[in-house]
Amino acid sequence: MGTTDSEQTAAGLIEDPKSFDPKGTLALILVYFCILVTMWVYIYFVEFLGNDLIVVG
Amino acid sequence: MTATADAPATTSPDATNEPVTNEDDPDGDGDGAATPEGTFYDRFPAEARIVRATFLGAFLAFAIGTTFGIIQTLHRTGIARPFSSVDYYTFLTAHGVFLVLSFTIFFLVGVFTWALVRSLDRPLVNTRFSWAWYGLMAVGMTLTGITILAGFTSAVDLSADVLFTFYAPLQAHPLFYGGLAVFLVGTWLAGLDWWRTYLAWRRENPDERIPLQTFMVLTTTIMWYVATSALAISVLFFLLPWSLGLIETVNPTLTRTLFWFFGHPVVYFWLMPAYLLWYTVLPSIAGGRLFSDPLARVVFVLFLLLSTPVGIHHQYLDPGIAEGFKFVSMTNTMFLLLPSLLTAFTVVASVEYGARVRGGTGLFGWLRTLPWRDPAFTGMMLAGLMFAAGGYSGMVNAGMNINYLIHNTIWVPGHFHLTVGTAVALTFMAATYWLWPQITNKPIYSKQIGLAQVVLWFAGMALMSNAMHAQGLLGAPRRTAEPEYAGFEYGTAFGGFQELNVQIAIGGTILFASAVLFLSNVVLTMGNSRTDGLAETISEPISGPEDAPLVLDNIRLWGGIAVLLVLLAYALPIVAIIQRGGLFGPGGEAFPMVLDALSILVDRAPDAIALLTDRAVDALGGGRLGGWP
Repeated sequence: MGTTDSEQTAAGLIEDPKSFDPKGTLALILVYFCILVTMWVYIYFVEFLGNDLIVVG
Repeated sequence: MTATADAPATTSPDATNEPVTNEDDPDGDGDGAATPEGTFYDRFPAEARIVRATFLGAFLAFAIGTTFGIIQTLHRTGIARPFSSVDYYTFLTAHGVFLVLSFTIFFLVGVFTWALVRSLDRPLVNTRFSWAWYGLMAVGMTLTGITILAGFTSAVDLSADVLFTFYAPLQAHPLFYGGLAVFLVGTWLAGLDWWRTYLAWRRENPDERIPLQTFMVLTTTIMWYVATSALAISVLFFLLPWSLGLIETVNPTLTRTLFWFFGHPVVYFWLMPAYLLWYTVLPSIAGGRLFSDPLARVVFVLFLLLSTPVGIHHQYLDPGIAEGFKFVSMTNTMFLLLPSLLTAFTVVASVEYGARVRGGTGLFGWLRTLPWRDPAFTGMMLAGLMFAAGGYSGMVNAGMNINYLIHNTIWVPGHFHLTVGTAVALTFMAATYWLWPQITNKPIYSKQIGLAQVVLWFAGMALMSNAMHAQGLLGAPRRTAEPEYAGFEYGTAFGGFQELNVQIAIGGTILFASAVLFLSNVVLTMGNSRTDGLAETISEPISGPEDAPLVLDNIRLWGGIAVLLVLLAYALPIVAIIQRGGLFGPGGEAFPMVLDALSILVDRAPDAIALLTDRAVDALGGGRLGGWP
């Protein structure tokens, strides 16, 4: 939305709510994404190193 | 909590003393809403009584279901087994049916009735009709519940130890299926009640956009009609006639497929009231505003479209369904992640707005300014956090190849205790702390106990569910009273099998303690006298309905596409199942749950003893055991 941090003050946001730029939300979602990818890779090892291959079809 | 106690502009260290107002925010507290005129109870007393009755029905089911939960937890883990392992399946059926059908759906109809009436700002068309659907739901669930509980005694010829999925050839007493059918009709009439109230509002307001909460109720109701059509066919045309002896056999693959046609969307049916509360109530509690009304509408449309044509992903290991159909189902399921991720973004952004208005700064520092002492807020946020973890294990369930790794293991109950058991149940409990004063004018007995209760639920579930996932990876089966086997030891990962059992037992005990605290708090709250000044507002979205394309409100269009997608996903598999096994099945006897396990043992014991004696004589005489079967 092209806002600067200085505009993201309480008063600024109340006056112009549409100037809100949810950077904190983006940061949290990126953290979640990193956890997901790490766990996904980990499950790959659980499946393929802990058991025989499963072939579908 | 009073309406102004958490007013963000006054609590914010960065806020100026002069209130900043604009036309979108009449009282200048940043939430885009004016000071409330009264509680729901003040404005719609007749509807408030209905909502209260549905909540009480839900809490009764919750009390029974969680009591069975702790018994099962201690039994399965071998900590305490005061009951027979045969009775375990009665406990398990009751735990499932009372919690995932009764608790969730009674709470849902209450939330939806509240949300619809509140957002349309008009009463229901006829509350007698509303009491009629409530009565049908209550009678139906009571019949089903009594049939299950009668399984504990052989004095009456009633039982239904068929678990909440009631897979044939497990067979319940006809009252079980009959009660479910009556309950289902009650929910259909509830949907009809909401729709006709909406249509009455539409006649009075021909040019208005559908209010967001009403939009959520209406789309979810359409999803429910689509989903339950298969359950009705399964129960009325196959399972009920079969249990009455009118037909001899059913096709188990067909009834299972019809169950999961219903069984996946039902998980979204549980979730949709939680989503409704996250989208519309949670931002207001945080002092924020919904980030985007259009995005919320898109999410509910996506759930209407995608939650039904995916049920076959519960049947990846069913041999009677071709792999290709399973692959289509998996693809649809992966698309279903989209609305969940959209929700994660929208809800967190809405809460972040509240935190920023409260003066929160930094990339993560804003989290500190949120009202963590409010049990309604903390409960819903922790529920959302657990849902994110459940989203991960759900992705593992959804992938065909890695599903094989955990299918039918206790990983799966571990997963759904995160989703329905926490994302939904904890949201409902947290929302009760906010909603109950609105529908009764009675303040919550103790918010401190409430806060402890929601945190305990989170902690107990973190412990129990994590250990269940880990045991699942070791191969421990689900739906088993005694998961330990002679001559076999589970591997060790994240702790040994027994260590994980202890974690499950401790987690389950903490959860039960949390449930007792919740119910006690509600009962004590009911003893409070009514007071004024409890009214809460729901803030206006930052990006309102005027930013949403009109086509989003065309529920007929979305309903039509939803039916089309269901036909595409299910027509061919169902035809193939019927061609292969016949409409009423390839034969085979029911395993009726109405008989007493002990009587089977008594009947068959003489034959078994005779056989054993013969074999022993043969072995002694012949000197070998070659004839042993």
